Amino acid sequence: MAGPLAPTRTPETTVEETADLDRPWVTIVWNDPVNLMTYVTHVLRELFGYDEPTATTLMLQVHHDGKAVVSSGPRERMEHDTSRLHAYGLWATYQQDA
Amino acid sequence: MRPFRRKRDDVVARLEPAEAGILGLLLDQLEQLLTADADDVDGDPVVARLLPAGHRTDPEIAADYRELTEAALRSGKTDDLAAVRASLPATGGEVRLDPDQAGAWLRTTNDLRLALGARIGVTEETEPPEDPTGEEGQQLAVYYWLTALQGSLVDAVAAGRDGRR
Repeated sequence: MAGPLAPTRTPETTVEETADLDRPWVTIVWNDPVNLMTYVTHVLRELFGYDEPTATTLMLQVHHDGKAVVSSGPRERMEHDTSRLHAYGLWATYQQDA
Repeated sequence: MRPFRRKRDDVVARLEPAEAGILGLLLDQLEQLLTADADDVDGDPVVARLLPAGHRTDPEIAADYRELTEAALRSGKTDDLAAVRASLPATGGEVRLDPDQAGAWLRTTNDLRLALGARIGVTEETEPPEDPTGEEGQQLAVYYWLTALQGSLVDAVAAGRDGRR
């Protein structure tokens, strides 16, 4: 896992606000009545290297708003991110951002 | 059950014989679903939840995604399942997992909860059964038992990561 000095986002995947225009594909995690909140936070840390506050914020956004963008970048990378999330049982899709 | 706790690099729990038996049966059922012919499980809500669409609205992108990823997803899930089976004491007792095994257990217990949840129709409002007899009560009781097991495993694994920092 990333140490305390590691960047909180991997270079290839950044959250939505910073990347709408130049990186038009996004991976979205949808709310699900089964997945535990602690598990979702764990998976976001594990797969994307997010620090705990970032992963927790994204998890809570999924829980309260029904979805959250967890990564953005080229289409192939979003396919890959989606399949990694599916391997962990999270309900994820990817799409070209509006 | 004694829930998962961290012991150095491992996580350790203890299962009653009946609990190990139920987990073994659930693994068998999950394996059957994951290895079934696609035609036989077409439209099955459990399979749809375990191998969901990659795109919500565009069937072409969803089909591309399925072609690219589904075989690897299936084999990853069956590999995890085999790792869980290999580290499950068939008649109960101590379960001791290294980090790789713990990862397999995390994903597989989650798949089992997703499968049961889809079968029973679990929603945000679902609560533990007041009467754990009868088929639905029993299934819900198993679901909540799995939730406790997986919850303790998530906490034990997360504690290890934070402890290493």
